Amino acid sequence: MVTPTETETMPQPHKFDLTAKNCEFLDRHLTFPLLEFLCIKAIYNKQEMLEFILDTVNKTNMIDYIMDTRKRLNLGDEMPEELNQRKTKVLQTLKELQSEVAPIMKATEILKNSEMMKDSKTFLNVLQKDYNFKSENVESAYKLAKYLYECGNYQDSTSYLYFCLLVMSPNDKNYLNVLWGKLAAEILILNWSSALEDLSRLREFIDNSNFTPMQALQQRTWLIHWGVLVFFNHPKGRDLIIEMFLNKPLYLNAIQTMCPHILRYLATAVIINRQKRNALKDLIKVIQQESYNYRDPITEFLECLYVNFNFEQARMKLHECQTVILNDFFIVSCLDEFVENARLMIFETFCRIHQCITISMFADKLNMKPHDAECWIVNLIRNARLNAKIDSKLGHVVMGTPPLSPYQQLVEKIDSLSVRSEHLAGLVDRKNKQKNQESIDSWKYY
Amino acid sequence: MSRFFAGGSDSESDSSEEEVPQPTFGKISTTYAFSDDEEDVKRVVRSAKEKRYEELSNIIKNIRNSKKIKDMSSILTSFEDLVRAYTKALRVITKEENGITPRFYIRCLAELEDFINEVWEDRDGRKNLSKNNLKSLGTLRQKVRKYIKDFEVEMKKFREAPDAESEEEVQKAESESESEDEDVKKPAPAVKAVSFKKEEKAPKPAKADDDSDSSVDWGSSDDSETESSEDENVYTSIREKFLKKQPTDKEDKYDKDDKKKEKKVKEKTHKKKEDDDEEGWETVTKGSLVEKPKMFAKDAEIDETLVLNKLLEIMSARGKNRTDRKMSIELLYELKHIAELHKMNVAIIAKILYSIITAIFDYNPKISEPMKIEFWDKLLKAQQDLLAILLSQKESVTLAYGITEDQEQLETAPFFIRGCALAIVEKLDDEFIKLLKECDPHSNDYVERLKDEVNVTKIIDSVSEYIERVGNSNEICRVYLRKIEHLYYKFDPTVLNKKYGKLPNTTRTSVDDMQKLCNFIYTNDETDRIRTRAILVHIYHHALHDNWFQARDLVLMSHLQDNIDSADPPTKILYNRMMANLGLCAFRQGNIKDAHRCLVELMVTAKPKELLAQGLLPQRQHERSVEQEKVEKQRQMPFHMHINLELLECVYLVSAMLLEIPYIAAHEFDARRRMISKTFYQQLRSSERQSLVGPPESMREHVVAAAKAMRCGNWQACANFIINKKMNTKVWDLFYEADGVREMLSKFIKEESLRTYLFTYSNVYSSISIPSLAEMFELPKSKVHCLISKMIINEELMASLDDPTETVEMHRSEPSRLQALSMQFTDKVTNLVDVNEKIFDMKQGNFFQRGNMGNRDRAFNRNQNNQNNNWGQQRRDNRRENRGNRQNRNNQQQQQQQKESIIEEE
Repeated sequence: MVTPTETETMPQPHKFDLTAKNCEFLDRHLTFPLLEFLCIKAIYNKQEMLEFILDTVNKTNMIDYIMDTRKRLNLGDEMPEELNQRKTKVLQTLKELQSEVAPIMKATEILKNSEMMKDSKTFLNVLQKDYNFKSENVESAYKLAKYLYECGNYQDSTSYLYFCLLVMSPNDKNYLNVLWGKLAAEILILNWSSALEDLSRLREFIDNSNFTPMQALQQRTWLIHWGVLVFFNHPKGRDLIIEMFLNKPLYLNAIQTMCPHILRYLATAVIINRQKRNALKDLIKVIQQESYNYRDPITEFLECLYVNFNFEQARMKLHECQTVILNDFFIVSCLDEFVENARLMIFETFCRIHQCITISMFADKLNMKPHDAECWIVNLIRNARLNAKIDSKLGHVVMGTPPLSPYQQLVEKIDSLSVRSEHLAGLVDRKNKQKNQESIDSWKYY
Repeated sequence: MSRFFAGGSDSESDSSEEEVPQPTFGKISTTYAFSDDEEDVKRVVRSAKEKRYEELSNIIKNIRNSKKIKDMSSILTSFEDLVRAYTKALRVITKEENGITPRFYIRCLAELEDFINEVWEDRDGRKNLSKNNLKSLGTLRQKVRKYIKDFEVEMKKFREAPDAESEEEVQKAESESESEDEDVKKPAPAVKAVSFKKEEKAPKPAKADDDSDSSVDWGSSDDSETESSEDENVYTSIREKFLKKQPTDKEDKYDKDDKKKEKKVKEKTHKKKEDDDEEGWETVTKGSLVEKPKMFAKDAEIDETLVLNKLLEIMSARGKNRTDRKMSIELLYELKHIAELHKMNVAIIAKILYSIITAIFDYNPKISEPMKIEFWDKLLKAQQDLLAILLSQKESVTLAYGITEDQEQLETAPFFIRGCALAIVEKLDDEFIKLLKECDPHSNDYVERLKDEVNVTKIIDSVSEYIERVGNSNEICRVYLRKIEHLYYKFDPTVLNKKYGKLPNTTRTSVDDMQKLCNFIYTNDETDRIRTRAILVHIYHHALHDNWFQARDLVLMSHLQDNIDSADPPTKILYNRMMANLGLCAFRQGNIKDAHRCLVELMVTAKPKELLAQGLLPQRQHERSVEQEKVEKQRQMPFHMHINLELLECVYLVSAMLLEIPYIAAHEFDARRRMISKTFYQQLRSSERQSLVGPPESMREHVVAAAKAMRCGNWQACANFIINKKMNTKVWDLFYEADGVREMLSKFIKEESLRTYLFTYSNVYSSISIPSLAEMFELPKSKVHCLISKMIINEELMASLDDPTETVEMHRSEPSRLQALSMQFTDKVTNLVDVNEKIFDMKQGNFFQRGNMGNRDRAFNRNQNNQNNNWGQQRRDNRRENRGNRQNRNNQQQQQQQKESIIEEE
């Protein structure tokens, strides 16, 4: 049901487009999916987009991608000579690098299934002892992995990087780069579970190594952006994103200072995560704090609903949210979930405040048809998530929440007391025993 | 005083350096020669005239001596003597000199008059005189005035040509003394000594004439003093001579005199050198010394080295105990003038200017007192000139702290001068603040002084321009700090206009400048202090221009609250000022809670005036010593930087009211209610204590009256009390955008009154219609809806909305007495458990310590340990018993016991 007013308030999609901001903090290769996505969405001029992609691609070694983009731009079928030259050159370098690493790789191949692979130290020892392994080999493996990555061969790149990680010490100057490269490659081959692993490893590394505050902040900002890619694609990511962004003060600080636009993804994650309702309070605090710095329909939706309790506005914002999500590469997949949960949130808040609601008004608030809304509520009641009755004669929903009785209040208040006292008593007892022991000990000396 | 002595002195003065009394003796010098001899040989009968003149000159000498030490009472007595002596001598004078008053007498009178005028004029100096002296000065002045009326004609003549004649006389005297000395049969050594004297003396009249640097040599402030000092020398030396009278070797005596003299004369160590110096000059110009000795000499000789040497001399006297600082400033000016006349290079002029600046800073010996205005003006001028030189001579002149004296290069480009432009500008700035603090802020003086602010900031700007070129980052930070400290408290309306889009985005505002300078300091500063101050100042500036979020974020990010306690007092003051302004900013932006939080620390002490360094509180029971008071006075802010205290208090009270009144209403029967604002409570209570409350007069009364109105939910009355004509003029109009603030205020008053109303009267209603509420409080329906929703969600209001009828259904049920009591009881039990846990945590720490101690020196602690254990045992038994019997026993009793045990523990 699209009313005329709604069409008027249809937001311009590019107004809330964060691609430019996000790309600042992403690897060049990671931006391609985003850019391609924008191409499809046709928010911007397609020609310009393609030209921009070509521009970016030209800085990498992905010759095939360049050719493809040129084709799409209708720049003629035959490729310039220079491009072909580059291709041969790239292939040549690749071969050179591969030949350098080949012997070691063979050895790894052999050892692959043995026990030694499990422990990096023994593995390294064996390599050094049996296969004449030197530190330069790691260097060249690293180079090769990087080159492969630049050529767009992410799959192979990951395997080399894996090897690097295995043999490198964390003090190596390239260790951080290897970690980043591995994460990027895993993301690009859509291997989310290992990407998640890499992400946590990288996070640990950043948190534990001693960067200057500025460097650490920058590293974290990158990690946050790359993390968004992973979290929204991994089934467990929705919990983890809240865990990492909201509950870790370091990362929350990084978001607040460097990239408040990440709040959009955080807000989305919190909204679609029904189990983590308690995170909402913290999130709203953050959103309010940063409201002068960053606002978009999603954060505004939360603000309307939980700060101002302005349901009319929340409804409008929800509508805007849909367009925003539809045009955002990171969260486009959660659109349905988002809408469903947002409605539920509105409804829940509504129920807490009201004791009697007309269905038609309510349907209006949820952007639903009255009939659908009624079905929706019936479902909710049936699933025992709502204590209410529908009065179909008047078209009302009557809440069944009885006011809190004094007895109940009393019980709630004393509930925890006995547990706490028990705990305390236990502690005292333990102390006492220890004490006696001690005094006996001290007597021993005499 | 014996006649021998007197006679000796006169003749002596001829040959040494007396020049004042000479004219009188011009004609009778032969007799004097005799008198000199007389000491060696025999007495001579003297004429009446001689006798009288002797008497006069003795008195004159006394006057001169007293003048030097400004002993007014003795001058007065001497003057009276003089007048008496003169009347006695009058007979002789009319007979011998045809009634013409002797010149030395006139001279003495003229000098005396000058001296008195000078002392009279010098107000500060006059203050320092003792009471006795002051009185004498008054009488003396009157008497002299009266007396010299009789000599007006002669005095005028004398003043017209005092020196021409004296020069002549000097010449005469010289020739005479020479002949005299020859007469006295000690030809060779005497002549030598005299010639030496001559050399020394010869340039003096000329120098005194053009008032040039020659007077430094004597280190006194003016001609008369120079002379008097000479007199003294003569006098003392004569006395010396008189005592050690040894007729055999006059040469030796002369030498001794010489040395003594040098010691007596005000200069100390460098005097000798100077003498030598001047001797050097003299030898060159000796031939033509009669005409214009000094000027010629200078024309001939002045070059850079000479000027620099002179500068060095003057500067080396710096800091010495008896150096006349005022004089050296004047000398430096003179030197600069000469240098300019001779078109010396800029470096020398810059160097002299720098010396002038330091000399002026030196002039005031007390740090706590401001310098005199005249010097201040000079100082400004000198600094401007110096900076003009530094900036115009881009590459060729460098003034830097790092240049050692050896590396100084003043004669050929590129020039290097030792000195620190930054230090002098910092000192200048400090002096400026001191000057401002000295003035009465409500007088025109203050405004006049404040006009110099422009100059000071200009100087700072040019210094920063200069430092940016030559200085390191630390120096740049320092000068930037000065710059922003002059910038931060000034409101720039363009900032707001830019924010509202009235001005193009490219306009440069003070906020942008501030941002730039502060960013530099943030990245480059190594001392924590400059950075802290820069942050504070930056926040202040943001707050002043309503950039609430930026200001708040800076506060939060800098973690200032955590470590401000360890800062120095001026920084703390700045912090307080910043907080005050941040509170005002939050208020203007409608963040009442934040405003309250910012201001509460300042207001809760009830002495924001002191915390903001805007005035000292009246002394109570000698809380602080004189010293302390002095220190505190130094820290005060100059008036133009003050934050209006009434505004501050009003903002605080109003925000406290907006928070407190609904809170009181909501927790009317809550045992655990805490007050949000103590200060506001005090105001409320004091008004309640009054038996009759009249219409509000002061700002505080207005707020209290408004609070009372709000308590009944009467928003109209409340708004009228807060926003009316009186309050507008007193408070609200002080804001830049007063209308916006008033609008915001009335909105908040409506909302909070609505909340208060609902809290207070909800037990009377079973349902209220939202439209009627909206009408009552003149708020839009949606707003009322939002407010009520918020209250329901936060469980402040036991109610729920009924959508179809647009009403609020109240659920609040009055608990029965039993219920209320049991609720209270549970509260108390909860408290008890809390306390128990806390005590356990505390004890845990103690146990640990005790255990360690017991192990360390067991023998000593054994007893104690056991005792403790026993105590613990008992306690625990006690508790266990309690727990077991909980159900059966009366709870109150149990509590009692528990409490006892707690007390035991403690």
